[in-house]
Amino acid sequence: MIRQMWNSRAARKFRRNRLAVAAFVVIAFYLLVGASVLLFGLITLDETGERVGMKNVPGFFAEQRAEKRMNDCEYFLDIVDRALGKRDPEEALAAIRFGRLDLIDKPVDDIREIVDQGWKIYDELAEIDDLNEAPGTLPRLGELQSVVAELFPIPTGWDGFIYKLQMCLGTDRAGRSISFRAIYSIKVAFQIGMVTAVIAVALGSVLGTAAGFFGGWVDHLVTWLFTTFSSIPNLVLLVLLAYMFAGTVFDGTLVPVYIAFSCTFWIGPCRVIRGETLKLKELEYVQAATAIGFGRGYILFRHILPNAVHLILINFSLLFIGAIKSEVILTFLGLGVKSGPSLGIMITQSRSEVINGFFWQIGTATVVMFILVLAFNILSDALQDAFDPKHL
Amino acid sequence: MDQPQPILKVTQLSTCFRTDQGEVTAVDNVSFELFSGESLGIVGESGCGKTVTSKSIMRLLPEHITRFKPESRIEFDNANLLALGERAMREVRGNRIAMIFQEPMTALNPVFKIGWQIEEALKYHTKLSRNQRRERAIEMLRLVEIPNPDQRVNEYPHQLSGGMRQRVVIAIALCCEPDILIADEPTTALDVTIQAQILRLMDELKKKLGTAIMLITHDLGVIAQVCDRVVVMYAGQIVETASVHDIFHRPQHPYTKALLESIPKSGKQEHGKRLPTIEGIVPSLFDLPVGCRFHDRCQLAEDRCRDEMPQLTTPHDNRDVRCHFPLNETS
Repeated sequence: MIRQMWNSRAARKFRRNRLAVAAFVVIAFYLLVGASVLLFGLITLDETGERVGMKNVPGFFAEQRAEKRMNDCEYFLDIVDRALGKRDPEEALAAIRFGRLDLIDKPVDDIREIVDQGWKIYDELAEIDDLNEAPGTLPRLGELQSVVAELFPIPTGWDGFIYKLQMCLGTDRAGRSISFRAIYSIKVAFQIGMVTAVIAVALGSVLGTAAGFFGGWVDHLVTWLFTTFSSIPNLVLLVLLAYMFAGTVFDGTLVPVYIAFSCTFWIGPCRVIRGETLKLKELEYVQAATAIGFGRGYILFRHILPNAVHLILINFSLLFIGAIKSEVILTFLGLGVKSGPSLGIMITQSRSEVINGFFWQIGTATVVMFILVLAFNILSDALQDAFDPKHL
Repeated sequence: MDQPQPILKVTQLSTCFRTDQGEVTAVDNVSFELFSGESLGIVGESGCGKTVTSKSIMRLLPEHITRFKPESRIEFDNANLLALGERAMREVRGNRIAMIFQEPMTALNPVFKIGWQIEEALKYHTKLSRNQRRERAIEMLRLVEIPNPDQRVNEYPHQLSGGMRQRVVIAIALCCEPDILIADEPTTALDVTIQAQILRLMDELKKKLGTAIMLITHDLGVIAQVCDRVVVMYAGQIVETASVHDIFHRPQHPYTKALLESIPKSGKQEHGKRLPTIEGIVPSLFDLPVGCRFHDRCQLAEDRCRDEMPQLTTPHDNRDVRCHFPLNETS
């Protein structure tokens, strides 16, 4: 069976298209990531919400401005200092933890000594007006950072690997890992895209073919439905539906988004497929099928739908991408995904960061979305070509 | 020779359509018989009711606008097809009466392999197993003289030429061994050489399988090649029924004669002379003339033709004519 599929004409045609294969690999990778998050908890929701390091650390461990490095060191020293000032410093120190970054396990006095050493260098540097210009300050700043690194040693082994992954695309303004949030967002995007595209295309094609094929009151009803739905501006309907679910059990889940998108997205495929059915049912092979003696239901499913399958495929991929993009817009307006990371949430949150010149979060979300959308477009094009028996 | 029983008997078939401008009678009081193993040609200009007649037999007309007059009967296998329920009708369609259409380019579903399309019909009407169906499909392709049928079954319609496709269409129609094959202008879309091949094939298959053929065409040349008997239709009515020999040699209705005269004849044509045509057009069904429906195009029309509709009469054995002044009466 699999061998047969692999050797089929469509598969061979598809494999010849290098770009399509690349797009397929990209989507398979995305899908794998999304599925592992969804099914195996590769990254949990808690992990995306925890503080893993300093805020707005740039990705790829890039060199930062001196002022930022100073502030980061101050932040770490301050936290430890405050814990030391508590009544039970040992307990307070044990509570300090940034994701996989742990305070070094040493007696309280040793830690106090290191912190004092750090503050000494810090005070020294704090008196200098321009950290970048003055001679000898940058090596001194490096010393300060190594003191902090002594307090918070970068983990080794597996934890170290995970830490590197978490930090590789930097952190957002709450010190959360951008890479992990992006991976989790892929899962959310796939969920929204798949669920809405499947529902909308299924609904649209069933209503569309029924309207086109049976005509009469069925056609009137369906036409009335989609003209009514499409006369309401899309966004208004989405807003309305999003508000409708506020306060219900579905509030905070993805269900309102699914329903809002499914309700509006079915119109496109319905229209197109209704038109195609109207065209197809007059063709002679449909009449010939009647002349062979097939029933109307059989003709609808075996002769009309397969001939409209290219439209269903295209609409599916369009809606899939459309849903992912709409999620971003809706979330940006504060009506889509409410909690947990998603591409929309990431882009919304990066508004204040962009003003401060930090582009890692918005960049990551945009690139993730861009690659997914592009790959999906290429794939759907290639699939259409591959499955079209009329083109060699 | 004792009188054979007709396999299909159409009596007083009148098919009406409801339209915005009122009801029109597209087929008016048509009666004919089809005998087993015979090919019957139905000939006439466009819009004279040939296709509606055939679709009435198959009940393929849109039901919500079609009405059959109560006296209409289509008798087949001791049943009136017009009175059959949809389910019983589906048993007849394809299985007992098959139909092939004019346009071979669109008569096959482009997304399925041709083998699948033959097997589909078999699956519906027979209890053959998967492998048997496949064998039968190949056998049918061989029967319609498609080369390399074992490879061709796995091809898609677009990989075949028009003539090949029409052969496949015939294979699909004949795979359940129907009693009657209705061919609605099967060769109109094909070029002349392919047309001749297809007609010869249909003729051979008729002899081989004993299927009665009802051939609908506007081409008298086609009729001459395959038909035994001919029904000539004009404006929804039968104007003449006769054997193919009589039609070509002794046409009785002026319309038939005019049709024959408008066929180009090689050699016989007088040099430099225009090919005769029938002046005017088929009258609109909304505005049928009083009297004989052909009178305003008929060169022999007299006053009686303009006032009184001629009835279908039987001047000789096995032939009917609807004319007040039939030709070749004496011969």
